[in-house]
Amino acid sequence: MNFQKRLLRAEPNFRILAKLWQVNWLYVLLICALAMVGYGALYSAAGGSSRPFAGPQTIRFAVGLVMMVCVALMSPRLLTRLAWPLYGLSLVLLVAVLRMGHVGKGAERWLIVGGVQIQPSELAKIALVLVLATWFHRVSYRRMVNPLYLLPPAAMVLLPVGLVLKEPNLGTAVIIGVVGATIFFGAGMRLWQIALLLVPLPFLGKIAYSHLHDYQKARITTFLNPESDPLGAGYNIIQSKIALGSGGMWGQGYLHGTQGQLNFLPEKQTDFIFTMIAEEWGYVGGIAVIGLLMLMVIGGMLIAMRSRNQFGRLLGLGIATNFFLYCAVNLSMVMGTIPVGGVPLPLISYGGSAMLTVMFGFGLLMSAWVHRNDHFGEAGDRA
Amino acid sequence: MDVRVTGDDLRTRTARERTQFRLLVMSGGFCALFGAVALKLAAATVIMPMAPEQRQIAPQVPPIPRSDPKGMLAGDFALPQVHRASVTDRNGQVLAISLPVAQVYANPQEMIDAQDTARKLRSVLPSLNEAELIRRLSTQKQFVYLARDISPMQEVAINNLGIPGIYFEPGERRHYPLGRVAAHILGAVDIDDHGVAGIERSMEKRLDSDRTPLRLSLDVRIQAVVRDELAAAKDLFQAIGACAIVMDVNTGEIIAMVSLPDYDANDFGRADPDTRFNRAVTGMYEPGSTFKLQTAAMALQLGVAHPWDRFSSIPIHIGRFTIADMKSDHFAPWLTLNEVMAYSSNPAAAHMALDVGAQRQQAWLRDMGFFAPVPIELPEAGRPIVPHVWGISTVMTVGFGHGVAEPPLAIVRGTAATVNGGILLHPTLMARDGAQPDDTAQLTPAAAEGAAPTLTPAVLTTPAAAETADAAAMPGAKRVISPETSALLRRILRLDVTKGTGKTAESPGYFVGGKTGTAEKIGPHGGYLKHVNIAAFTSIFPMNAPRYAVYVMLDSPKATPQTHGWTTAAWNAAPTVSKIVTRVAPMLGLFPNTTNPQAVDDAMAIPLEPAVPRGYRPLGPGNDPGDPRNQPKAPAREAAHTAAAQSPRARLHAARAEQTAQQRPVHQEIRG
Repeated sequence: MNFQKRLLRAEPNFRILAKLWQVNWLYVLLICALAMVGYGALYSAAGGSSRPFAGPQTIRFAVGLVMMVCVALMSPRLLTRLAWPLYGLSLVLLVAVLRMGHVGKGAERWLIVGGVQIQPSELAKIALVLVLATWFHRVSYRRMVNPLYLLPPAAMVLLPVGLVLKEPNLGTAVIIGVVGATIFFGAGMRLWQIALLLVPLPFLGKIAYSHLHDYQKARITTFLNPESDPLGAGYNIIQSKIALGSGGMWGQGYLHGTQGQLNFLPEKQTDFIFTMIAEEWGYVGGIAVIGLLMLMVIGGMLIAMRSRNQFGRLLGLGIATNFFLYCAVNLSMVMGTIPVGGVPLPLISYGGSAMLTVMFGFGLLMSAWVHRNDHFGEAGDRA
Repeated sequence: MDVRVTGDDLRTRTARERTQFRLLVMSGGFCALFGAVALKLAAATVIMPMAPEQRQIAPQVPPIPRSDPKGMLAGDFALPQVHRASVTDRNGQVLAISLPVAQVYANPQEMIDAQDTARKLRSVLPSLNEAELIRRLSTQKQFVYLARDISPMQEVAINNLGIPGIYFEPGERRHYPLGRVAAHILGAVDIDDHGVAGIERSMEKRLDSDRTPLRLSLDVRIQAVVRDELAAAKDLFQAIGACAIVMDVNTGEIIAMVSLPDYDANDFGRADPDTRFNRAVTGMYEPGSTFKLQTAAMALQLGVAHPWDRFSSIPIHIGRFTIADMKSDHFAPWLTLNEVMAYSSNPAAAHMALDVGAQRQQAWLRDMGFFAPVPIELPEAGRPIVPHVWGISTVMTVGFGHGVAEPPLAIVRGTAATVNGGILLHPTLMARDGAQPDDTAQLTPAAAEGAAPTLTPAVLTTPAAAETADAAAMPGAKRVISPETSALLRRILRLDVTKGTGKTAESPGYFVGGKTGTAEKIGPHGGYLKHVNIAAFTSIFPMNAPRYAVYVMLDSPKATPQTHGWTTAAWNAAPTVSKIVTRVAPMLGLFPNTTNPQAVDDAMAIPLEPAVPRGYRPLGPGNDPGDPRNQPKAPAREAAHTAAAQSPRARLHAARAEQTAQQRPVHQEIRG
């Protein structure tokens, strides 16, 4: 039967409303709450104005929300079919960005297509989650004992990781690798297999460090001792710590954070937005934001657990892990726990590319929720 | 429906339960990590918060004691005994310092055991080659150098070895602790400690005769921030070079001056000549539209034009040149002076320059110091490139900043003179002693509010306010513009940022005013290159009571997606100025006006098309002194335009009529 006919039969019109009803609106509410926190913070970052950050960001969020609902209505069957072309496209774009990408601060990271900036590494993350979930959906837990079934997905992870490393974008490469690894773990990779893999890891780390660019090495050394270069690379970390400290328990008050409002804090609308929130709202405000982010991650994991098909479970796991890594890396960065690297705080930081990918990811998560009771082509079936 | 449990079902369930268990484990892990982040946040905010650095609370550290009898103090640490004085910034931060070193030499005739000596020496100076040491120590000479520039600690260690025949020759070496920051300004010394470039050379006598530290006007914090932002802009727009200047408009003190690419001052000898080139004073660039400020200033000051006078923006064809605006600009055919400045029209500026005339234009530019090297304590200051023949086309092109090449510092100096009440100053790198205390009055935001009256509109009604008097008292100062014209020019420059091409330079609460300028670079075969530009923005803030001039220039910036393909100053240089101002102003003790910014702006506002007061007949359509149709009638305008037949504008019209008769050949276009 040809593909289009099956597509039509699987998606008769009357089911759309029923599916809309099925969307987890509580979770959507949570997403909106975080976006509102973002609006407030960006309003303050512009010195008490909706321009130039908060307004445009709201429009992007609205676009993202519509996209999320559309993706949520797609059935997992359709998503598994889309996984491979999407993965292929992301690889092509990653190669394209190496060949003709635009350089930003010393690294090739983005492409322009029709006036729109795209970051292929962001797309690659989502495509990888999809394609791995599709693979492990079809390979049963029993078969995974045989390492031969693990080789193709391992290649699927290493390909984008290698290409992103080449950009060179160390932070994103590590995040892609970790997202891939968690899916392997969630899919049921045996513990002895994991142990076997961990043995050569320190070895690889040493080789990797020798291939780092000078600016990346500088980040690692200034992170170890930021005061060594207070005017240069250590400046951001020190300013961020000072701003956090000046917030104290209850904060300096909305629109009254001295470090942020007087521009001692750099990049406060993107990477360091959490610092600004914590300066103006104090420890209490910071904890509230962390709590919201945690609810999002745990909510995602619960949605994953609730799915009756392996595809949904792994998809949920991948998306939740990706979101978690964004948050964890950004928060650790602004508190000076890991070296600085341009990872935004999802839904809150200013920036279109990250916002749209995160919302696309939530669309996939929502699709896993809406279709949580579906069974299709699973390894347990006689396929 | 029958319930059967098949093997497949069982296996599916095992897989599900296994995955669910692992998801649970990972959720636990995520929670734990979030907990760790929360703990870290508690530590950073409540348990042990990091205190702001002293300099963020008090922008100025205590000054260096004026009288320092021993000549040994700089800030709060003692200087070693050396001959050449150290150089500090205005806050006492050391920029250049001589440290004692020693040269080790030996008299081989006094040596007892060369092998043993060599081994012992290597225990202190492991970098020496043992075989080479033995060879030198065994020669028949009475004097051989063993090592150069060793530290006092190594000298003590070698002394303690107790080897006879080893001697030390005291010396000193120049160090630049901040490396690249301010490298172009400091310059360098040669191996004999004689200055060969920069301040080291121009202040050679002072540094060698008086051991008290030489205090520069620079502020290293500002210098570092400006360098940081300029480097970011240079990277973002992939410019081949860049330059930025921050100057006090009332004293002429240079607070920051950056030229990129730069080099490590400790490595002057090995630095690439291109990096040693100081674009701020040695680089000659066509100023482009930033020069329209001078054209407007001379026209207003000489009474040739008024803000409501209109100038034609229709392209001018002269010889093989065409003076035109970008086709995408879509200007009205007649623009008021304010619009000419705000929208930056080349033909209109050319007409304005023609109305001033070649003589007065030259005299004005000479008076403003544009024909001579900028007076600054840097031997690198170069001579501007000025045409020898000052014909009608020169008058027009210079009117919008082409055909002359000026160092950026000259542009900053000229800009400062137009807004500080009309006083042309000698820019200086030396701290002016009287200039410091006024900053200490604004230590904290609270104190700044106390000082707020200086930011109120009241200042505008008295343009010749106190700071003008200060400026006039500076050495080398001379009045070039009346206080009234200066006040008018402030409004016009602010208009450029609120309504004109400089919108991207706006920094809320700081009332930035300025002029964009994009000059096309001259290609290898002569002729202007449309997309290879010098993009510059010359600005002043706060415009209601000018304190600092900020200038940014990018050499050959590329288009990025954010600039929508443009390489003009409004898209790259102006936003960089905005970033610099918002970061630098608090360090300079200026805080954004958030209480009544609109009121201040309203008091400064000037309409794009001001109403013509009664009794004036404005220049414009129907009153164009050069229009051939007006020729027969005796022109009714005053002195400036009495002899319309001889006026440059008339001559232009004549030339134009002649050319339209014979098909105009257009080989080249000039754009600003």
